[in-house]
Amino acid sequence: MRLKSRFGPFGYIGIFVLLTIYFMPASVLAADVGNCLLCHKYPGLSRVDENGEMRLLFVNEDIFSKSVHGKVKCEGCHVDITKIPHEPAKPVDCLVLCHIIEPTSEQKFTHKSVATSLDDSVHSKKDKDGKEKPFSEDMPTCKDCHDNPMFRPLAFVKKVRPGVAEDALGRCRVCHTQEEFINRFYNHITTRLHKSRSPLNIAESCARCHDDPKLVARHNLSTSAGGSYGQTFHGKAANLLDESVPDCLDCHVPKGKSVHQMYENKDPRATTYKENRGQICNSVDCHPGASTDFANYKVHAEFNMKQNPVIYWFTTFFIILTGGTLLPLMAILFLDLLRRLFPNASFRRRKEK
Amino acid sequence: MKRYPAIKIKDGKKYFYRFNLDQRIQHIILALTVIILVLTGMPLKFSDTSWAPYLYALFGGSKMAPTIHKVTGAIMLILFVYHVIRVVGQILTKQILPLKKEGKMNAGQVTKILIKQPMIPNMKDAKDIIGLMKYLLYFTTVRPDGDEFTWKEKFDYWAPFWGMFVIGLTGLVIWNKVLATQIIPGELINLCLIAHSDEALLAALFLFIWHWYNVHFSTSVFPMGTVFLTGYLPEELMVEEHYEHYVRVMTKEGLEDEILPPHGGHKPFCNKPLPEEPDNPFHTTAAEQPDDTAPQGGISS
Repeated sequence: MRLKSRFGPFGYIGIFVLLTIYFMPASVLAADVGNCLLCHKYPGLSRVDENGEMRLLFVNEDIFSKSVHGKVKCEGCHVDITKIPHEPAKPVDCLVLCHIIEPTSEQKFTHKSVATSLDDSVHSKKDKDGKEKPFSEDMPTCKDCHDNPMFRPLAFVKKVRPGVAEDALGRCRVCHTQEEFINRFYNHITTRLHKSRSPLNIAESCARCHDDPKLVARHNLSTSAGGSYGQTFHGKAANLLDESVPDCLDCHVPKGKSVHQMYENKDPRATTYKENRGQICNSVDCHPGASTDFANYKVHAEFNMKQNPVIYWFTTFFIILTGGTLLPLMAILFLDLLRRLFPNASFRRRKEK
Repeated sequence: MKRYPAIKIKDGKKYFYRFNLDQRIQHIILALTVIILVLTGMPLKFSDTSWAPYLYALFGGSKMAPTIHKVTGAIMLILFVYHVIRVVGQILTKQILPLKKEGKMNAGQVTKILIKQPMIPNMKDAKDIIGLMKYLLYFTTVRPDGDEFTWKEKFDYWAPFWGMFVIGLTGLVIWNKVLATQIIPGELINLCLIAHSDEALLAALFLFIWHWYNVHFSTSVFPMGTVFLTGYLPEELMVEEHYEHYVRVMTKEGLEDEILPPHGGHKPFCNKPLPEEPDNPFHTTAAEQPDDTAPQGGISS
């Protein structure tokens, strides 16, 4: 994740740290091939870029080596760096041909197929005719959603919950001797077997764009998706940290496809296409037997006259009913309390006296 | 002696019979179910607040709390149906059927019986509300003399009545949404959710502020009203809230000499006796002369 903040005291510390380590003897700690950690292992390492934003350049070796890309060398992604010390590095292109060999095809690995799916989806930068969409720069690219995270591995021996199952690792160790390999493959497989992020986490990452009022307005979206999801029972349970409720992806990703293959409502391939809607809800695990009428429930309904006048006026009725009932009663209650302080006070009697 | 006399005397204090055992049990079931439903429902309505997860976890979190909510809701709905059947049944067997036997049944008579039901609002309630307003706004020092059931009690009856109907019906739809959408469009589920949760918030605020103030927290009753447990209301509260009915009951029981003067205004907090004002011109009830041994006939009619 990129740390974006204004130039602050940490910027000066960063420069100080840089200078300090420049004069330090070569480290013996780093096991990385390019010896990048010689500098990047220092927690304060940072720099202010051309836009005046502070960039944290520290690499936590412990976290990195356990992450999905832990086996990839730094130069594998940062291809523009050829010498140390290096020029400011360009942003990583995720579609670069990796130095990793994909075991089934024995070809070099690449994420290009993901990009192909994404280009065909609702999040593509280009429309159907291949023309650039307006505000195409808002469309997400790999790193907007993927932050090289520490996925929560699945303990799938007996207890299906997040965490590494030592029992399972023990079985790997029978044949495989290399501890690092075992860990990596365990993670590789188990993160694809379950949701590696909680529903709330997913909703929050989608909401980073889908709840941004500027983005919602200029792309003519009918709802702040995260906000309205939070109003449904699904979203409420997610708020209460329930992990079994559906999040954005459960309904918006077609069955058997990946998150990169979401399509717009008008596309017959989309799960939200009118005729397909019933089939998302009536999955065996969710609401078996649900009709298309059931799926017409407005998941993303908002208290908004433009988006949904019926719901707007219906809610308004209840607001008026609540206020109209409670306010007069509260007034009586308050006056009653006050009256008890002055039991004998009266305008009229005073007048007569 | 009757098991439930109209006036019970204990330690020299009079208590007035108001609610029978059936009504008290109904009320306690209602009160308990309301509290459980509010506690298991509000964390969902306010799921983004900091307290919600803790309160929800107290009821077993999202694994258990929904079940508790549904079972409790079902109990409340059964109570609602029981109550309606019982009330309608009593009106039918005790009032309308005897009329039929006498051969006097016609639309006019039946309407008259229905209008005369104790919980039906009437002109006296309107007058009492206006009277209370005058009192609260310092135009008079006399509180209206309430009848057996005051407008507050009628409000406290009909508000949960309507609330239970709305919340219960929408709750059933949300509970059985797959079944319900075989008949109704899915958009109605949205409206059911809004009605269910907004009406519930209104009901909770109404009961926990207004109702609890009137029956427990007001300075006349504090710290707790006991009529919902014992069925008997102490004399001073009877005088304060139901003076007309009080005089009627006392007369019927032959205790005319012991009728207390009307409540007038509230007593000061320090128990200082109210100044005697025998010729208060605004005090028009028959009992304006407290020393009178026999109250005027006008009271009990």
